[in-house]
Amino acid sequence: MPQQLALGLIPGPPTGPCIRLQDVGVTFRTPRASVEAVADVSLEIGEGEFLALLGPTGCGKSTLLRVIGDLTVPTRGAVEVRGGPAHAARQRNEFGFVFQEPALLPWRSAVENVRLPLEVVNYPPERRTARCEELLKLVGLLGFKDGYPHELSGGMKQRVAIVRALAWGPSILMMDEPFSALDELTRNRLQEDLLGLWAVEHKTIVFVTHNIGEAVYLADRVVVMSPRPGRIAAVLPVALPRPRQPELRDTIEFLEHVHAAREALGS
Amino acid sequence: MSEPDVPAVQEASLWERALPPVIFLVVALFLWEGAVRWLAIPKWLLPAPSAIVERFFKLRNLWLHTGLTVMEAASGFTLSAVLGIALAAGIAHSRFLERGVFPYVVVSNAIPIIAIIPLLTIWFGFGYAPKIMIAAIISFFPIVTNTTRGFKSADPRMLDFMRSINATRWQVFTKVQFPSALPFIFAAFRIASSLSLVGAVVAEFYGSDRGLGYLVITSATQLQTDLLFVSIAVLAVLGVSCFTLFGRVERAYSAWQAEQGYQR
Repeated sequence: MPQQLALGLIPGPPTGPCIRLQDVGVTFRTPRASVEAVADVSLEIGEGEFLALLGPTGCGKSTLLRVIGDLTVPTRGAVEVRGGPAHAARQRNEFGFVFQEPALLPWRSAVENVRLPLEVVNYPPERRTARCEELLKLVGLLGFKDGYPHELSGGMKQRVAIVRALAWGPSILMMDEPFSALDELTRNRLQEDLLGLWAVEHKTIVFVTHNIGEAVYLADRVVVMSPRPGRIAAVLPVALPRPRQPELRDTIEFLEHVHAAREALGS
Repeated sequence: MSEPDVPAVQEASLWERALPPVIFLVVALFLWEGAVRWLAIPKWLLPAPSAIVERFFKLRNLWLHTGLTVMEAASGFTLSAVLGIALAAGIAHSRFLERGVFPYVVVSNAIPIIAIIPLLTIWFGFGYAPKIMIAAIISFFPIVTNTTRGFKSADPRMLDFMRSINATRWQVFTKVQFPSALPFIFAAFRIASSLSLVGAVVAEFYGSDRGLGYLVITSATQLQTDLLFVSIAVLAVLGVSCFTLFGRVERAYSAWQAEQGYQR
């Protein structure tokens, strides 16, 4: 079992897993061919768990994320979120999505971008601005709240996208290679920020990445996927203590985990 | 090796931008005036600029004609903008509507507009109505095509995000798709507004007793070439005004797109 150290309090009674996938398969049909993107995936993700989906490009990990979040309907199998179907969870606004590109609205300032979901999910209007500013402060962007996306750096934009996905308090954070377009220094800073946010906001996080070190550093468990069709090749618990600090990357234990994940990827 | 950091494009001042065309205009007018006087070109063939200016100031009802044509063009343009944006929104949301209607939008653009004028005159007479309709029809195509493209230009990740928070179609439209389309809509307005002017003038060629188009046709048939030049000059000013006006609105709105290599 993965260590659940330093998770803090998990909100609500832990009644079974947060997300349960049963024999999920996705086949994309085009007029000329059908492509099996995901096959036979069964997986349980616990409440408050930080789970990484690791695999090479085209292994179906992003498709799997979209299936959990009800953006893509699976061809086979069942997805259960908190005991109900995924679309019900989406309708309850339980998912906060972050994509590889920040995908901010260029005509809205940082604070207005964070406010967008609050306008959609019926968040009390009088508390919207305060909530946005509180979140921007958490990621050190309060001074840039009136800046427009083209005035912000790539790392700043992705921070805005992350707090936008947290704004209304969804319980599950869905991250699709959120740091892969950033340079290494910025990526490491954002990983720290994310762990900091996770310590404050207690979410279940599903984190898609093709970066082995990133998966090991962040996650409680790393699900390694193999391509064509996307299947689970291995599930590796990460037995590293929390809170995790950058120095951890230089330890033998960390490198052993990285090695194990690389082995699983190669098999 | 090191070079000073100089911005690649330096914004020219109004003076720097306006001076060269003014110089060319003055030289051309001067040569024109001189040629007409020295070669004694008859007035009906090519009036001197001074004669055209003189005629301009003597004209009593020029503003009446101009006002009427502008009214027809503006009405047609407005009609076209409202219907065009509504249709584009429909096309962007419904594959059925796109497949069913878009071919006819293309066909409407392929028919020479002049061929429709007599038909509309049979149906609606010699009043303003057919002129407004021609102005609307001619500006319809660029508005529909550009706006449709604009609605479809919305970032697919952004649409995914809106879907993930269970946004309604209306919320997606007002918060993401419509603002995304605005730069395209303004670009369409820039083209369509000048086209609607062309439409109104051409429609006035056929069966009318006022308007700039009427002025062009009658001055030509009566060989009042100076009046013809006055009409053409007024039309040129109107056309350029439309273009500049919407060009400015467009640039002001899409300032944020500078980053994305959006060039004008």
